[in-house]
Amino acid sequence: MVQSVHSNLDVLLDVQHISVVYDSPDGEVYAVNDVSFTLRRGEILGLAGESGSGKSTLAYAISRLLRSPARVTGGRVLYYPRTRETVYSTSLPSAGEEYKDVLSMTRKELRIFRWSELAVVFQSAMNALNPVATIQAQIMDVLRVHRPGLSRDQRHARAAELLKLVGITPERLKSYPHELSGGMRQRAVIAIALALSPEIIIMDEPTTALDVVIQRDILTEVMRLRQQLGFAVIFITHDLSLLLEMADEVIIMYAGRMVEKASRKALRQHALHPYTDGLLHTFPTLEGPIVRMTGIPGTPPDLRMVPSGCVFHPRCKKAWGKCSTVRPVLLPSPAGVGSAGQQVACHLYTGTGRDEELRASEIVFRKQGGEA
Amino acid sequence: MIQPGQILSGSNQGPSGQPLLEARHLRKDFPLRQMNIIGAGKVVQAVEDLSLNLFAGRATALVGESGSGKTTVARMLAGIHIPTRGELLFAQQPVNVKSMRERKKYLRQVQYIFQDPFSSLNPLRSVRYHLSRPLRMQGHARNSREVEAQALVLLEKVSLTPARQFLDKYPHQLSGGQRQRVSIARALAVRPSVLLADEPVSMLDVSIRLDILNLLLKLKEEEGLAFLFITHDIASARYFAEETQVMYAGQMVEGGPSDEVIRRPRHPYTRLLRAAAPDPDRMAQNMGDEVTGDVPERGEPPSLVNPPKGCRFHLRCPHAMEICRQSFPARTDFGGGHWANCHLYSSNLDVQTTRATTGG
Repeated sequence: MVQSVHSNLDVLLDVQHISVVYDSPDGEVYAVNDVSFTLRRGEILGLAGESGSGKSTLAYAISRLLRSPARVTGGRVLYYPRTRETVYSTSLPSAGEEYKDVLSMTRKELRIFRWSELAVVFQSAMNALNPVATIQAQIMDVLRVHRPGLSRDQRHARAAELLKLVGITPERLKSYPHELSGGMRQRAVIAIALALSPEIIIMDEPTTALDVVIQRDILTEVMRLRQQLGFAVIFITHDLSLLLEMADEVIIMYAGRMVEKASRKALRQHALHPYTDGLLHTFPTLEGPIVRMTGIPGTPPDLRMVPSGCVFHPRCKKAWGKCSTVRPVLLPSPAGVGSAGQQVACHLYTGTGRDEELRASEIVFRKQGGEA
Repeated sequence: MIQPGQILSGSNQGPSGQPLLEARHLRKDFPLRQMNIIGAGKVVQAVEDLSLNLFAGRATALVGESGSGKTTVARMLAGIHIPTRGELLFAQQPVNVKSMRERKKYLRQVQYIFQDPFSSLNPLRSVRYHLSRPLRMQGHARNSREVEAQALVLLEKVSLTPARQFLDKYPHQLSGGQRQRVSIARALAVRPSVLLADEPVSMLDVSIRLDILNLLLKLKEEEGLAFLFITHDIASARYFAEETQVMYAGQMVEGGPSDEVIRRPRHPYTRLLRAAAPDPDRMAQNMGDEVTGDVPERGEPPSLVNPPKGCRFHLRCPHAMEICRQSFPARTDFGGGHWANCHLYSSNLDVQTTRATTGG
């Protein structure tokens, strides 16, 4: 089933069964469990979930940025370059191969892969920039290391071009990070990520610390740049409303697991997982009657002690018999439910048994009620 | 009890009775430290002219970007900053925040909830300690037994249950949402009648934001507290507050009933805020076009050391006219309590008015 996807030229990154644990004195903490998805060229893939849902850990596993005590315990991350013979990546992948597994790359290969093929924009723009170096120095530094063929003038020209690309006047090249506003700093970080024209950009909460107006500017900029340069984006956020506006596909994570994957439109029209549905009702709206919202009761589980069965069942309003014992797997939504390509891990959609069981439990309930 | 799905009332009803806390024409200038002693001292003109009323059981939202002066307003109301000009009235009585005694009395009624629950709690102190300080200082509790009993009630009130379990926890053992609840409980320990909430949810996860907002709504409705609610998210202003006032670079630009201001914004700046807010119904394809045209695309608030003359928004405003650079516009009333300070609506500029109303 998965094999057929491989021949598709569109696929850029094929993530298969990734699991990550954190080693702790009390044993292993399962931060990411068996996550698989594909990223197509030019696609914006949204990763949404609450704090601690494993969305950042997953993204860092893909980019091999995890360090001890985090450990990738299984899976593959297959990267399909556009052409096999780009000037700088002759070793990526080696002859005869169509793809390269990021998780088995050597240090040398990783060095080429990162930034040239995959760049990361971190959450806090203030911390991502070096406070004692100018923006120019920080962009040119990347080019000096990764494009040794370029002359100083060429590097300078490229730095100016990159700033212009993200809407900052090149006069700002000489500025230090503290001289820029929050929005400009985030733009500068994006410019640095774009320095080597990567195929994939991972954005980890790129706008969370920013004001709404600046957030809107940055998002518009990202959409425009994607149109212009054709890179794919993995966009991590806890704010699902942003993804509903801009992402092509959205993955909902809960307690280290994928609980649903769907297109933006499908999520808007018919979110299947009760958790997704809850997330969709956590943000106030600009139009319509002002209705008291309830959100999702409870808090995410402690990953050292995840509940049995479906990890979401203690907070789920629709939980039934099987939910507390059998862990649901991510499956395509059954015919007639949801949209094509929509996937969900929930017993509400595994068909047989539910109605019978509900009826049975109702009878038991009535019996008990009668006796009491 | 709050019912899910219940349509929030109150937003259509006008305020009843006198305001509890009243700010009249507050102005705040912060002097800049300078090497040159002889020259005229430069100042940051943080807030130009602010008036607002807070009513029991109602909330007023103050909306604007970072640097618009909204936190300065809250801090003036909390007696942290002394206003350069203007006056504060509590229950119709003028408050002299410079007098230590009056200020102490005032702060029994007016409490502050800070934005960042990670830095507003002392990491070395337990929840019990955080709650015991105000309880003892205000004389609500005289011994540790009374402290404990009242602290438990406070924790229950902010839905940290089982309360006893939280009493001896330290801030690092709590999640962001739980910490914010503790800081709300701490403010409540004083038994105030006014709460000043400075972006109380913007540091929290989206799903936790709603829990905290609902908790504050409960306090507003059940305890009849008056709220100042500071936010840059106009959707939550509409959800939480009956009144909304919009600030830009220290100037008030628009105000009125929240639903009215947010759904039918008049001032170009309010329109910009509205267009910038995440809206799931908007499709990605339009994202580029949406922000251009009527609404300015980008730009940042001006420096407040030498603020632009006239309406401070004119540098970013797509409708800016000559007069906007000259003078700050007078207030135009649209009825129903909705007003804006914008030359587009000044009565002697009828041509511009039609243009602006059709533009939205």
